[in-house]
Amino acid sequence: MALVGGAGAGGGPLSRLARAQYAGLARLRWSMFSHGLRTNRGALELGARAFSYLAYCGMGLGMGAGMGFTTYFLVAGGKWRLLPIVFWVLALLWQAIPIMLASFQEQFDLGILLRFPVRFESYMLLYMVFGLLDISTILGSLACLGIWIGVAAARPDLLGWATLSLAVFAVFNILLVRTVFAWIDRWLAQRRTREILGAVFMLGLLSLQVLNPALYQKRHARRTGADERAAQLREAEARYQPWLQQADSVQQWLPPGLAAQALRQGQAHDGLGVLTSLDALGLYAVLVGGLLALRLRAEYRGENLGSAPARVRVAPNRVRTLSPVYEDKTSATLVGSGPIAAIIEKDVRSLLRTLPLLYAIGAPLLLVLVFSGAFIHNGGGSSAPVFPLSLPVCMVYAQLGFTQIFYNSLGTEGAGIQLYFLSPTPIRTVLLAKNLLHSCLFAVVAAVAGVLAGLRLGIPDPEVTAATASWLLFSLPCNLTAGNLFSLKMPYRVNPGRISRQRGSSANALLSLLVQLGVLAVGAAVFAACWYLDRMGLATPIFLILAVAAFLLWHRVLASTDAIAYQRRDALMATLMKTD
Amino acid sequence: METAAIQTHGLTRRFGALTAVDDVTFSVAPGQFFGFLGPNGAGKSTTIKMLTGLLEPTAGTVQILGQPFTASALELKRQIGVVPEGMALMGRLTATEYLNFVGRMYGLDRATTNQRTQELLEFMQLANENKKLVTDFSHGMQKKLALAAAVIHGPKVLFLDEPFEGVDAIAAGMLKTMLQGMIHRGATIFLTTHVLEIVERLCSHVAIISQGRLVANGSLEALRAGVASTLPGAAAEQRLTLEEIFLSIVGGQQESTQELSWLS
Repeated sequence: MALVGGAGAGGGPLSRLARAQYAGLARLRWSMFSHGLRTNRGALELGARAFSYLAYCGMGLGMGAGMGFTTYFLVAGGKWRLLPIVFWVLALLWQAIPIMLASFQEQFDLGILLRFPVRFESYMLLYMVFGLLDISTILGSLACLGIWIGVAAARPDLLGWATLSLAVFAVFNILLVRTVFAWIDRWLAQRRTREILGAVFMLGLLSLQVLNPALYQKRHARRTGADERAAQLREAEARYQPWLQQADSVQQWLPPGLAAQALRQGQAHDGLGVLTSLDALGLYAVLVGGLLALRLRAEYRGENLGSAPARVRVAPNRVRTLSPVYEDKTSATLVGSGPIAAIIEKDVRSLLRTLPLLYAIGAPLLLVLVFSGAFIHNGGGSSAPVFPLSLPVCMVYAQLGFTQIFYNSLGTEGAGIQLYFLSPTPIRTVLLAKNLLHSCLFAVVAAVAGVLAGLRLGIPDPEVTAATASWLLFSLPCNLTAGNLFSLKMPYRVNPGRISRQRGSSANALLSLLVQLGVLAVGAAVFAACWYLDRMGLATPIFLILAVAAFLLWHRVLASTDAIAYQRRDALMATLMKTD
Repeated sequence: METAAIQTHGLTRRFGALTAVDDVTFSVAPGQFFGFLGPNGAGKSTTIKMLTGLLEPTAGTVQILGQPFTASALELKRQIGVVPEGMALMGRLTATEYLNFVGRMYGLDRATTNQRTQELLEFMQLANENKKLVTDFSHGMQKKLALAAAVIHGPKVLFLDEPFEGVDAIAAGMLKTMLQGMIHRGATIFLTTHVLEIVERLCSHVAIISQGRLVANGSLEALRAGVASTLPGAAAEQRLTLEEIFLSIVGGQQESTQELSWLS
């Protein structure tokens, strides 16, 4: 017998057998990478990924610079009480960014390793190492670097403590991201927990929308001059001081607060205090790592997660009866029997069971909320809009959330893509149905975002409103046209039961963003020209003319989709039918 | 002369340097239960994909019910039903929702689709699984659902790629009865499977493909007689099973003499 490292799966995660397995896995990844380069699509994916990494690094450097400067001013000014804010912002961004961008990242599912004699420790180690260079780690690490430089520049004597504190904080965040994803995937895998999670998500989203105007009105009523505002701030500070103190006393025992506290204690030469804070932070990391290990252990043991509801006990002598007239008890039915109605109904049902897509639709509203909040802080009049072009900007945000839905409309079909080629329904009808549904969904989201923007930022000028609506009439067919082409030419499989570990396509993500930027640039140019000429009313007819041209283009491209789809059906099916 | 239900002429498919299907010509008469056999990688699934419009032939033609069949021959697609290799299921739907969807994609009205859906689910013993999503079905249940979807529109020609794989014996017997019923009512069935006993029991005609080329085609009796004529004396007088015919034709009798000494 010539077994590496002896028989079975003995030894630790660094045993001979484990190292041979790591080497085998590395060779596998290399083979997959080099085979991927055989096709033009593979080369394009590589180029797009390289570009994406550069872009992420750019974003990370920006974040790092911002946090670095903030930290420098806080540390140099001795404002240690405010330092936790930097760590809290970083922690929240670290967790939120991967959720926003999960579908656009290609990730390797290590589940395939479970058929081999891989030790749990090795499996966990690989789980941690694979995907370590994802967006959240790049951005988070660069932000940590920025904070570290900020501390080092302001107080070089704190360099050691800063290094230690930021390292533990980074480990905690890396572990937390993976734990959150692993558990969300677990909950999404089962129908009951998925529905609960979906309901909580939608409830949260709706609550924010309901709270939004209320918060706005409260703030809006208070918006006045600078002196009065300062006085109000002092008054609010005095009023909320006990609450703030209570919140501060709680947050300092949470990971971001502990990391900041370690630095504060370091500057006070309280070595024991620093070590206590870092120990507590390390304990959090161990706790989170433990939760992750718990989840991975279940996966490792061959947990089979299904979407089935709990097993129903069936009486042994139950007689099956065939109802003479079948009643369609399913929801979401449209008038008409045709394929378009069938596809729309099917997609609505699938959508309601697919949290990643629901999230993609709901996220723009959150973005509008955050975005409009930023403008409110900048002040403005009481009735006029804070920023005259706030409505079109909010609409752009709303549209960005539909990128995945527009540009990879067949991604969730899986093996069902075969049915479209087998049935007598042309592919253009399938895409038409999807375009109609997506347009309706976008119209709803845009309307909600518009109302939200109006409530938060003031009612926009009627000319701006009309121009924005007509710009949407132009941009929507543009996006649908490009989306139909991208969906057929560079699709990627979307696992509807997961947020993380998706295959993704860097090329699709990058090029779709470029198209959207192009459409946006046209809109911005028209708005800018009309603004400059002080003839905002001119924007509407210009956009309407462009909309007609875009609609004709969409119609023409839609008519050609059958030919494209039949030509590419083999590649399309091979891509979308890939199992995870 | 009767129009063939399925007719291919010089059907060829190349993937780069590999010729997966090479100049395959055959004909299936209406009402025939036709078995299409071959070892792994012989080109069975590639052929069935070309016959059903899932793959473009590099050369050659396909005619279904006397009409040229291309991927865009939409009217002709109404006449055929397919259980493809990947089963074409949609995991996020229930069985009822899926069959409803398929029926309407094939042009049935909502009421007819609903009625047939219910009947098919009862027949396939899937009616009690209505709360489950298709993704949670066992492999056998998925096969039964794929078969239900293939027949919901009442096709005249049915293509089945390994339809009995993973299906339990009770359900397999029921499906065989259903397929034989279809044959009695005039439908044509084109079946690929590795289970030679099923082909022997159900099919009247058989074609065998090996390394992309058609190496045998005819009625089961004709193939039996042909192979028997090549055998010496007493062996030729025995009634050969399909397995023996198959092994004789594709060269399976030349078993490897090498042993895997490390295999316990």
